[in-house]
Amino acid sequence: MSLLLAAADDANTVHLTAQTRILAAILALAFMLAILELIRRDKLQERYSVIWFVAGLGMLAGAAFPGLLELVADAMGVRDTNVALFSIVLFFLLGLALNFSVIMSRQAAQITRLAQERALEGVRDQERENGNGAAPGPAESKEEQAGRR
Amino acid sequence: MRTLVFIPAWNEQDSIAAVIADVRAEIPGADLLVVDDGSSDATSRTVRENGVLVATLPFNQGLGAALQTGYLHALRGGYDCCAHLDADGQHPAKEVARLLAEVEADRADLVIGSRYTDPDAEIGVDDYRPTLSRRIGTSVFRFFLTLATRQRFTDTTSGMRAANRKVMSLFSQHYSPDFAEIESLQLAVREGLRVQEVPVQMLERAGGSSFLTPLKSAFFIFKGVVVLLVGQFRPKRVGAER
Repeated sequence: MSLLLAAADDANTVHLTAQTRILAAILALAFMLAILELIRRDKLQERYSVIWFVAGLGMLAGAAFPGLLELVADAMGVRDTNVALFSIVLFFLLGLALNFSVIMSRQAAQITRLAQERALEGVRDQERENGNGAAPGPAESKEEQAGRR
Repeated sequence: MRTLVFIPAWNEQDSIAAVIADVRAEIPGADLLVVDDGSSDATSRTVRENGVLVATLPFNQGLGAALQTGYLHALRGGYDCCAHLDADGQHPAKEVARLLAEVEADRADLVIGSRYTDPDAEIGVDDYRPTLSRRIGTSVFRFFLTLATRQRFTDTTSGMRAANRKVMSLFSQHYSPDFAEIESLQLAVREGLRVQEVPVQMLERAGGSSFLTPLKSAFFIFKGVVVLLVGQFRPKRVGAER
């Protein structure tokens, strides 16, 4: 019985060995370096990198100050710090995925409008070629201009 | 009164010429535009050979985007009203002319051609016999759209419509790419536009079969219901002219 209690007590505290902490810190630093490199090579726009930097900093903080995680877990009222850690990461990733869906939707709408404008430009070209007297239509209607104001 | 008739087409090289000829014969006063939704066949070329303007989308974008292209062209071209019909030959142009007459007489802002002649008749009892999954889908969409708009609709997915400038202005800005037909009706009613359904005669599909398998149908119906539900909570937009 006392053994069980001791084991349960054991699970309540984090025991990060120096090895794990060093490994976590190295991983976090490598992660942030990778992001820097991606920006440097123009493969990642700065505006999308901020969130990843914050994530990298979080990882680094967790490695440097393991007590921090316990503090957070306590604040959340979660007994097992591992559960707290996984919940935080899970919700972070969930929010990020949602954010990407929003960006994707916006870009899909932009691509559609671009394709439509291109198609209508083609129509104006045909009208010009036909030269049937009718002037090509305007690039924008008064309703659209009014809608933007 | 200037009128534009536009035809969204996706890989319809075999039927598009006949549809163009039909529209020219039945609605002689109207300008014509075919919106080629990124066809991989000779649709665009066939249209140009028939002396009709064609708006070629660089890649397939779906029916909603194609229709929106037509509305955008109608709006910018200064047309007073416009109409569209399917490119597969299901929609006789003389019926489209009847829809246009309703808009020209200013009895409605948006007129839908319904294949169901009697709004109270059971689906499929007359000359039109759809598949089971199609019947279920039609009933579900009818029910929810009627519930959402508090207006009776029988043919919610009809692609034969006529509209005035108010509708052009709205649809050229807001047109759902996935549920073009149903959501646009909901949107138009919510924006206070007069939407009217007119019974029309439609023909059997010239070729090809429905693209829906039962599982896809079920998913399609589910998606449609979610879209309608979400649409009920969308903020109302302030139109440019109203």
